[in-house]
Amino acid sequence: MTTPTDRDLILRARRGEREAFGALVTRYQMSVFNVCYRILHERGEAEDLAQEVFIRAYDRIHTFDIEREFGPWIRRVAANLCLNHLESQKPTTELDDERDADHAPSPESAQEVRERSEQIRGALASLPAHYRAVVELRHYQEMSYEEIAEELKIPLSDVKSHLFRARKILAEKLHASD
Amino acid sequence: MHLTDDQLNEYLDEVTTERAVIESHLDSCDECTARLSTLQNLFIELDSLPELELTRDLAARFFPRPSLPAQLPKFLTLTASLQAAVALAAIIIAVPFIVPLMPAIDASSLTTLFFEVQSQWTTSLNFLSTFQMPTMPEIPTLEMSSLLITLAGASVLWVLGNGLLLRNQMK
Repeated sequence: MTTPTDRDLILRARRGEREAFGALVTRYQMSVFNVCYRILHERGEAEDLAQEVFIRAYDRIHTFDIEREFGPWIRRVAANLCLNHLESQKPTTELDDERDADHAPSPESAQEVRERSEQIRGALASLPAHYRAVVELRHYQEMSYEEIAEELKIPLSDVKSHLFRARKILAEKLHASD
Repeated sequence: MHLTDDQLNEYLDEVTTERAVIESHLDSCDECTARLSTLQNLFIELDSLPELELTRDLAARFFPRPSLPAQLPKFLTLTASLQAAVALAAIIIAVPFIVPLMPAIDASSLTTLFFEVQSQWTTSLNFLSTFQMPTMPEIPTLEMSSLLITLAGASVLWVLGNGLLLRNQMK
């Protein structure tokens, strides 16, 4: 039995098969959660917003353009929702102490990778929210400068300055911690 | 003169219009090559950031909740009620026959009680061995027979009913 495509699942969800949408959620929940987490840096909040993303997507499944790819679309919806959330919630939230809690036991050889990941997440979390937003959209959503400008409703020059400045800060922090 | 940060960033983002100029400069400038390398490493590290696991399943709300244990079929519920009614009727019928036997049992000591029960049992067996339904006009015999039949019927119904209930649970 072949795995149904995203398109099949969306069409079934449109016909009222809630479970079909559940299968889509299963497929994309981790990547959506990670988008939320990279932007919000608080696990509980990231999970709540990731859930909200799927609820909204389900409510609007009939308006989704079936020719588009679902994965990038849902991740972009997640990024938007989180950025709006940040916007409505200044100053930004503190770092979550358990942000890198890894629930699966890992071998000792993975320890260094985990520590480095922790450093990268820490560096990302230390960025101002508007810097974090452009890093997320550029590096993880793979959007162009112009798309980011449109998405965040800021001038193209601001996109570049935020992004380049954010990278400089990150490089300095991570290089200093080496 | 070195490359600017903007030039290096745009070069790595592949949006620069002066690619050839930048590459030509990089060929001859160790400092700019080192800066580019630092930036490239950052890109690699950001790209390779592992994904975190969720602590809950976000898809759960889209799947039907596990249903409560299925209710018994109506006919089985009826059987259970019927069993209870039959058992109650059997007790009501049996009481007048059992009560007269009770005073005969002297519970003063266990030994005495044991022998008396044994004696009663032997008497009953003797009584049963001579039991002939058509020729026994005595009412108590007929009543005892009815009692046994009723009790046996109730037992059979009880066993059947419970058997059906257990079979349903096993499924």
